[in-house]
Amino acid sequence: MNMQQVVFPKSSANGFGRQRGDREVGARLENKMQLGKSNQGRIQTTGALAVGKTVGNESFSRDRLVYLTTCLIGHPVEVHVKSGSIYTGIFHATDAENDFGIILKMARLIKDGTLCGYKATTEFVSKAPSKILIIPDKELVQIIAKDVAVTRDGFASEPQNEKHQEILIDSAISQSRHVEVERELEPWVPDEDDLQCPELENIFDGPWNRNWDQFETNQKLFGVKSTFNEELYTTKLERGPQTRELEKEAMRIAREIEGEDTQDLHLAEERGVDLHDDFDIDEEMRYSSVYRGRGVDDSGYEEEEDILLDSHNIETFGDSYDSLSRSTDGVRMPSSSSLVDDAPSSQAAISEDLNCSRPNDQARQLASELPSKSFSVSDSESRIRDKLLGEHGGSSDGNEFPEKQSVSEKPNSSGKLSEGPASSKATGEMHSANSHGQPDSSTSSNSDYVGTVSASGGFGLSPSSSMGSLSSEKSTLNPHAKEFKLNPNAKSFTPSQTPVRPLSPVSDGSFYYQTQMSPLPHMHMPVSFGIGPSFPGHQPVIFNPQVAPIQSPQAYFHPNGPQYGQQMVLGQRQVVYYQPEMQYKGRDY
Amino acid sequence: MEGEEFAVGCFLSIKTTLGDEFEGQIISFDRLSNILVLQEGLESGPRRNIRLLKANYIKEFSLLRQDEDPLDVKKCFLDLTSLQAREDSAIRQAEADSERFGVGVTSEAQTLFDALSKTESCVAAF
Repeated sequence: MNMQQVVFPKSSANGFGRQRGDREVGARLENKMQLGKSNQGRIQTTGALAVGKTVGNESFSRDRLVYLTTCLIGHPVEVHVKSGSIYTGIFHATDAENDFGIILKMARLIKDGTLCGYKATTEFVSKAPSKILIIPDKELVQIIAKDVAVTRDGFASEPQNEKHQEILIDSAISQSRHVEVERELEPWVPDEDDLQCPELENIFDGPWNRNWDQFETNQKLFGVKSTFNEELYTTKLERGPQTRELEKEAMRIAREIEGEDTQDLHLAEERGVDLHDDFDIDEEMRYSSVYRGRGVDDSGYEEEEDILLDSHNIETFGDSYDSLSRSTDGVRMPSSSSLVDDAPSSQAAISEDLNCSRPNDQARQLASELPSKSFSVSDSESRIRDKLLGEHGGSSDGNEFPEKQSVSEKPNSSGKLSEGPASSKATGEMHSANSHGQPDSSTSSNSDYVGTVSASGGFGLSPSSSMGSLSSEKSTLNPHAKEFKLNPNAKSFTPSQTPVRPLSPVSDGSFYYQTQMSPLPHMHMPVSFGIGPSFPGHQPVIFNPQVAPIQSPQAYFHPNGPQYGQQMVLGQRQVVYYQPEMQYKGRDY
Repeated sequence: MEGEEFAVGCFLSIKTTLGDEFEGQIISFDRLSNILVLQEGLESGPRRNIRLLKANYIKEFSLLRQDEDPLDVKKCFLDLTSLQAREDSAIRQAEADSERFGVGVTSEAQTLFDALSKTESCVAAF
């Protein structure tokens, strides 16, 4: 047993705090009591303790003293010292061998003996508690403890009380003060037992395959009558003789969609395509929903914006960028097309359609303008594209958006028609493309056109596939329509005051383009390209009024939709409403 | 006061040199350390108010009455582990509480803070 003396140096009369280890004292006390640490049970009465060298009465009283002070361990006590100061703290130990100096933990000074009288009570300013306070015997006056459990009865009830009263809060548990270091985080790895994607396949088996009807079960168990009607939530499926074909078609479309190339990280991941092997893509990029324009793949977006602005500029200031546009065909395309958030040809009641990014289509539509009657329906998509590319270079008109008059059948020639047969053809082809599926996913060319509106690769979608319905893909073009010939002197259309149809509620910034009900042979393409009704707000709407017209100035209005209130007047700066691009990831079902 | 024998069980009324006055029953007196262990209040239950007083600070005292030993030796047991646990828990609690005590504030302010903090279950100390 270590008989080392504990030194209690004298200090100011205030008493003192010491940040000293007190283990020796504590241990000594325990040793003194001759209680092994392993001793969990109850201990002998104080009388049996052999303490120090005292004998007889003193031993008896000493024993009692020791016993009582031991009872105090862990108990909050108040200690008065010679100077009159009072400390409160948790009783930790006493030097039972000698003269019973005591050690308190978490001690606070609650009354300062140096301040006298009135001052002492009012001006007392609290100080931080000291972790360990050693009060030597000489300073000690008295120790006061309340509600001390002295006898066995007290002990029995005590732990329960303690447990009930103590509420462990997180900060106490974690002792965060004591732990300075951050934990090294490790990614979660599944246990061996966990299956790889357990039962995911089964879960999504069609509900009709399961043997369990939840509604029925619910009804049986709880008597709840269900009013669930699947058709309320999804497109009504036509079940009938056509069902097989429709299903097949649906599968085909689904496969097509899923098989598309995508540059989008998230889509790729979903489809199991590992897009990026370069490791500068961290978790955040992979899984966060925060869109940051970044990286090679996404740079398209940034470029888009630039391009968009450029296009706007072009329209505003006249097209002096021909050469430029020519040279940057691929890049230009999307911009121009994106400008035109074209609703599909009026003929198709497929307004929802093309919205999403069919930059090429839209551009073409634009360029072509019109209710052209000579639609060469047969042309393939790629041809269209090529044409468009070609013509795009040639014409600055990717950006022209002649407005079409849906009501009037007159070809509404805009100031700048990028006329040419190519355009009309393109339109026609485009229309046909609209109606037909686009078998070849023009994703390759599309990848350049990360259109603002488009989901990447959206261009490859067949318009009909984007349609919710699986209705037949009849071409809505009129093969017998009269060929369109531009009439530059045609009177410009002035819309009537009342809109033809009631304006549908659409989020701000989007045009509502109502398709013409009847497939018109002379199709007037509205200049303002709106988003179909189903996706208000999703797509950026770029309203690009005709600028710098070559010929007579014309005002173009969208007859059916909310107007931005722009009147295009020749020569004046047009206000271009530019919606910030939002990446539309998905399909326009 | 040296040399006096304090009989266990006596009820005394004591005045200390610091101005404290109280009454208590002697549990024990250790001559070596000169510490008088008193039990204050009535023994109404297993828990008592204990006071350890250094006898040299007793200014005056008077004997009130004599009673039997308040400490039933047969019932005296100590469970060190539970004591240790109690101490640990008390320290934890005190650490948590210490965050609620303002440093450098007057007692008045502390009282205010304590009173106000009762209206909220969780008060952040700043």
